[in-house]
Amino acid sequence: MSDDQITVTIDGTEVQVPEGTLVIRAAERLGITIPRFCDHPLLEPVAACRQCIVEIEGMRKPMTSCSTKATDGMVVKTHLTSDMAAVAQRGQLEFLLINHPLDCPQCDKGGECPLQDQALAHGPPDSRFIDQKRRYEKPIPISPQILLDRERCVLCARCTRFSQEISGDPFIELFERGALEQVAVYEDEPYHSYFSGNVIQICPVGALTSTSYRFKSRPFDLRSTGGVCNQCSAGCNLRVDTRRGGIERQLAADNMAVNEMWNCDKGRFGFPWVSHPERLQQPQARGSLLALEPVSWHGALTTAAEGLQAALDAGGGDAVGVLTGGRLTDEDAYAVSRFARDAVGTDNVDFRLWPRTDDEREVLAAVAGAPGPTYEDVEHADVVVVAGLDPEEEVPILHLRLRKAWRKHGQRIVVVGPTLGTMSEIAWRWVRTDAGDEGRVLTALATGATTGELQDEVAAALGGDGEGAATSVVVLAGERLSRSPGALPSAAMLAQRRDAAFAWVPRRNGARGALDAGLLPGLLPGGRPQSQAGPVADAWDHVPTAPGRDARGILEAAAAGEIKALYLVGVDPVRDFEDPRLARAALEAADTVIVQDLMRTETTAYADVLLPAAAPQERVGSFTTWEGRRQPFPQALPPQRLQQQDWDITRQLARALGADLGWETASDVRAEAAPLMDRRASVAERLAALESEPLPLATAPVPPLEEGELEAVVADLLLAERSTLLAGADDLLATARTPSAVMAPADAERAGVGHGDTVEVRGPGGAVTLPLAVRPHVVEGSVVLPGNALEAPVGTLADPDDPTGRLRVTVAAAPADELEESA
Amino acid sequence: MFNALRKGFGLTFKSMFRPSSTTEYPDTRRDTAPRFHGRHVLNRWPDGLEKCVGCELCAWACPADAIFVRGEDNTPQARFSPGERYGADYQINYLRCIFCGLCIEACPTRALTMTNEYELSADKREDFIFTKEMLLAPLPEGAKPPPHTDDEVEARGMTYYQGHAAQDPLRHWQADLAAPEEHGDPVTTDLLDDPRPGGGQG
Amino acid sequence: MGLEAKLPNGILLTSVEKFVNWGRAGSMWPATFGLACCAIEMMSTGGSHYDLARFGQEVFRASPRQADLMIVAGRVSQKMAPVVRNLYDQMPEPKWVLSMGVCASSGGMFNNYAIVQGVDHVVPVDMYVPGCPPRPEMLMDGILKLQDKVKSEQFVERPKPGESMEDFRRRTGWIDPDPSVEGVAAAQFAPRSGTRSGRRDTPSGAEPGPSQER
Repeated sequence: MSDDQITVTIDGTEVQVPEGTLVIRAAERLGITIPRFCDHPLLEPVAACRQCIVEIEGMRKPMTSCSTKATDGMVVKTHLTSDMAAVAQRGQLEFLLINHPLDCPQCDKGGECPLQDQALAHGPPDSRFIDQKRRYEKPIPISPQILLDRERCVLCARCTRFSQEISGDPFIELFERGALEQVAVYEDEPYHSYFSGNVIQICPVGALTSTSYRFKSRPFDLRSTGGVCNQCSAGCNLRVDTRRGGIERQLAADNMAVNEMWNCDKGRFGFPWVSHPERLQQPQARGSLLALEPVSWHGALTTAAEGLQAALDAGGGDAVGVLTGGRLTDEDAYAVSRFARDAVGTDNVDFRLWPRTDDEREVLAAVAGAPGPTYEDVEHADVVVVAGLDPEEEVPILHLRLRKAWRKHGQRIVVVGPTLGTMSEIAWRWVRTDAGDEGRVLTALATGATTGELQDEVAAALGGDGEGAATSVVVLAGERLSRSPGALPSAAMLAQRRDAAFAWVPRRNGARGALDAGLLPGLLPGGRPQSQAGPVADAWDHVPTAPGRDARGILEAAAAGEIKALYLVGVDPVRDFEDPRLARAALEAADTVIVQDLMRTETTAYADVLLPAAAPQERVGSFTTWEGRRQPFPQALPPQRLQQQDWDITRQLARALGADLGWETASDVRAEAAPLMDRRASVAERLAALESEPLPLATAPVPPLEEGELEAVVADLLLAERSTLLAGADDLLATARTPSAVMAPADAERAGVGHGDTVEVRGPGGAVTLPLAVRPHVVEGSVVLPGNALEAPVGTLADPDDPTGRLRVTVAAAPADELEESA
Repeated sequence: MFNALRKGFGLTFKSMFRPSSTTEYPDTRRDTAPRFHGRHVLNRWPDGLEKCVGCELCAWACPADAIFVRGEDNTPQARFSPGERYGADYQINYLRCIFCGLCIEACPTRALTMTNEYELSADKREDFIFTKEMLLAPLPEGAKPPPHTDDEVEARGMTYYQGHAAQDPLRHWQADLAAPEEHGDPVTTDLLDDPRPGGGQG
Repeated sequence: MGLEAKLPNGILLTSVEKFVNWGRAGSMWPATFGLACCAIEMMSTGGSHYDLARFGQEVFRASPRQADLMIVAGRVSQKMAPVVRNLYDQMPEPKWVLSMGVCASSGGMFNNYAIVQGVDHVVPVDMYVPGCPPRPEMLMDGILKLQDKVKSEQFVERPKPGESMEDFRRRTGWIDPDPSVEGVAAAQFAPRSGTRSGRRDTPSGAEPGPSQER
């Protein structure tokens, strides 16, 4: 769109709009709403429903305002001033209603249906149609989440355009012609899209309805509250609809800066866990028979404080370990961070339970609290480098932004790593690296020491004066990059050398907030090292001077008996930590295990004190997106029973220990945390400041593989059955992608296995059996394992003697007896 | 003075021989007006199926917010009403209800109507929450209480909504799940054998 | 309190009780005051056509000191609530309250800041009469039911004729009123009964095990 302004006259009023604006948008600027069904601001115009007809002077026939671009001096008359337009719109509405079944009392859309509203506002009071209406079998499930009722469809093509233009899963299509035209799915391909819920929301009639919300409620029953999604770091804005103390549904709310108008199915349908029977309802503690029994909050907190005090008496602050999970709000993260340092006096605190190497601290310190690139920066960037990240599986809304940029202005997306993941459609170049070798390649791209034509091309695109050089570059580094030695620092250096924006994109919604709050050893809020505590030292009574242990260190020390008490906030080490054997050993060995969580998990069985936490929908707080954008959200419904907010539990625990942290409300925490967590300097500036102390870049090549060995790449899936926050969302889980091992065709041929076979992936420590997918999306010598969707964590495959080393596995057809067992 | 007393008591004495205008409630009950707004009833079809489809329009219309409805899905094995949806939970709070009858006007299936019954006093607030079981009309003679199975309903060959049902009352997506069929062609049934102006209602 | 308060402990006076109740039910004088539209129907109930005097409600008393029954006829605003309570306090024992119409009973359609959501927030209610407003028959029905209630009142709680011990205990709140009902009452009495909450496995009526520490 150019910046030239043109003048249009609509209903006698002049309005200035940019050239290329559609008439319907120009009318909106004047507050004139032209009726429409097919028009959607984020979808291409198609003029399918013909409802938005207006009269334009000089045109012989009435025009559809949703597809006509305004021109300078155009004179438009809408239904408000033109009889011709009004008659045309009335006739069109009557025409749409001819085949519409009028089963509104049974229809889920009744009460919030644009067709119903417009029929009431402008429609004829009686139908002149006396013949038989078009009839189809209804409704038909086009996916476990979505029901299609073709009788109600007005063929606006919003859903089909959404799946083609926005989500890129064209499973849903218009078939047939004329009166028989209908929406349908391909017979052999089920409509399994991560974004399918959006078509329910944008359907202007009740043709697409949700299985989980079916016949549950009416809009006037619902109390709608704003919300922020708690499933990933995308930070989608939500509308949470509750009725009688339970969530009935969640919809995407509009926020053009973050999720535009969309969200993913996980965020939309993944809420039944809030009322799941496995939720922790009341505080519990070990009773006289050493079984967990319900106790009062006071009793539970006193018991917990006694356990912590015993550990402190025995070994000081170093005898306590604090682990947190990815679900905490910013307030919780800060509260736990201060609790650990100030009230307990330990630096043994970590939120990173994923497999990682130790060289990421400088980069994370530079990212913490600093404003990074935003969704808009990503959208408008020329070139985007994606490393260690599969946006569709990890941060789905980021995927939609990348896809939009790719579609609108041909953004060049460079994927660096051993696997292309789900980026095959939109990726411009794939710089293949061996698993664990990303660091060296990223360094090469940064310094220009590239090898091969492809790398040269990418390096040229990334910067310099050559032809096709990018004007703006964004580097997106995923959580998975932490596993490769030196990869995260290399990515940061690439960004800095090429004058690019750098973003660390974690998977879980609370990770960025936890990083900003300093929930990792040696780093205080705002990414301050302990030696430069500055304002943190002023605000806190006590700041540890020596860095503590990280997650693995804490668990190892607990297993060895050095750490006596573990405080686990929203984390289930048995499931979340890569090595469940070590986690179990640690939980068994620790004298006091305080678990503060939402649901019953494997870890809660080891707990000495269980503190039930309120779900995000049951409380106030704020989540930080991967961009560093803090988004506060209100309370949508009261806690189920005796659950409390995490920061509040932590505060009371501190008080039971004799330390007053001085907060009364969540805003108190936020007010104290904000100046400490937020830094003014951007990521780029702080990375530049790091230049003096060189980053630990990767230099060592990957040791060669032995015959038949493959390097395991662990990539998480969006929907995994073991996920706590998906408990009870059966319809949603039914659309989950089959967790499978993915390997390159050449490797599969060498191993003698084929696509669809059930294979056994064997590592030094154990084996897992799962289906195999053979795809060229993976480099030779690597196999991609679905980390969170395996029946046992990947860490069980690792060598118990060298758990942090490279994970090398063999893939072979599964033995016959195991096949029978699994069948 | 004597005159005044005679006048006064005389009137009283005369009234003793006038016919009494008192209705001897509760021994005799005057008929209410035929359209008197009394306690609600949830009607049934002649075969025992419920007329209520759980659309919540009554709850929407209610000015006192006295009605709670929750719909659910009919399944081929358990059918409560013709069509896709039935009222699984239906409650009227008679301590809120003002007997205005807006719910009756809103009901699209004539499932909810009012009786002339008015003796509703009780001494506990809980007793005023009338549940679906209390509100449902008695079963017609020989009818089976819902749920029915689709086979039973089909064998009966009854038409509902005078044949104007907006949909085949026995089509159900869970049946489709059990036995996947071709969804290509429009279904032409003779359900609309009695067309009338206004198309389908319901 | 009336006679029952002066009764020595352990004394049952069944025939006296019946006689006293008969007297109380048969000469229950309502207090004269109406709060809103329901009062029109209340007046009509007292008129010749319905003639409330047939039930011993001979005179509506304009003074609370002489009234036994308070008919709260109409919506009780927040401002009126203390007045209603004051009137109630001035009535001599024994006294009864009948909440006439949905506004007095629950706030009715006036679910807003100005109206007390049920006069039972202010005074104990013995009989609720729904309707908006209730027709005179509905009010008379309520009064007759209240008279029946008064007639069966007991000076000392004991099983009524034909009532089993278990029903009696349930009525008087000794045991969980209804095991299938989950609610305030069920939760309140759950600790006393072994299995009723469905969470513990001890046999019915058995003492909870040592681990439960009740």
